[in-house]
Amino acid sequence: MATIGRAVVRVPKSASKGEVVKIQMVITHPMETGLRKDKKTGQLIPAHYITKVEFLFNGKKVTTLHTGAGVSKNPYFAIKMKVTESGTLTIKYEDNKGGKWEKSAEINVS
Amino acid sequence: MITRRDLLKVAGVGAVALLAAPGAVRTSFGAEKKSIEDALKEHLGKGLSGLKESNLINIKAPTIAESGANVPVQVSANIPVDQVEALYIFADENFNPWVATVELTPMNGEVFFATRIKLAKTSPVRAVVKMKDGTLLAAAKEVKVTVGGCG
Repeated sequence: MATIGRAVVRVPKSASKGEVVKIQMVITHPMETGLRKDKKTGQLIPAHYITKVEFLFNGKKVTTLHTGAGVSKNPYFAIKMKVTESGTLTIKYEDNKGGKWEKSAEINVS
Repeated sequence: MITRRDLLKVAGVGAVALLAAPGAVRTSFGAEKKSIEDALKEHLGKGLSGLKESNLINIKAPTIAESGANVPVQVSANIPVDQVEALYIFADENFNPWVATVELTPMNGEVFFATRIKLAKTSPVRAVVKMKDGTLLAAAKEVKVTVGGCG
């Protein structure tokens, strides 16, 4: 099984000052609703989904996402961000079972 | 953000679903499918009548989705982002119609969000933009689903 919580983040390596760039990410996560049954055992699969994703650039809040189990398995999220300086994008995300992860990416602005 | 209410809700849904046969309509003990009206009220404080239709909001989603498990949805709005507080996505026919809340800041540059969502069945997908002055602008797009995704 793929590791839960692993994420791939895609940002442009470089951008010009004032440009609005697209930030995309995919998190490996089952996103169980808690309403589905295991076909073999007939037991209900407990809910397990991403609840919060925070995007910070150089420590400043860009976007906070609150999500429910209505987001697809291995969730994909894309936001836009206006960049005025080079820096680090940090993405912090967590699930309803207490899982917490962090991923960062550099953006060079000239 | 998990509140005590959310936890209770999840626990309740689980208990009822254990009793229900697969595919059966879950109706007993109050754990019914939440209506879009209730979901809107819970997250926005207003129901459908409190939303203002706006053609400034653009929802990009397929008209017919092959699978309800993975429906791409992209929302953008022709509204300056510094006037916007948050963006919400709802799917009317889902067990819990609320899908996501996106808190935006001026650092976003523009109102934009894209993700992939589950749809239990054919349903309108709604995007609501909450303005800083409290106005709720909304748009909807009907997505036909041939195979549901909330099994």
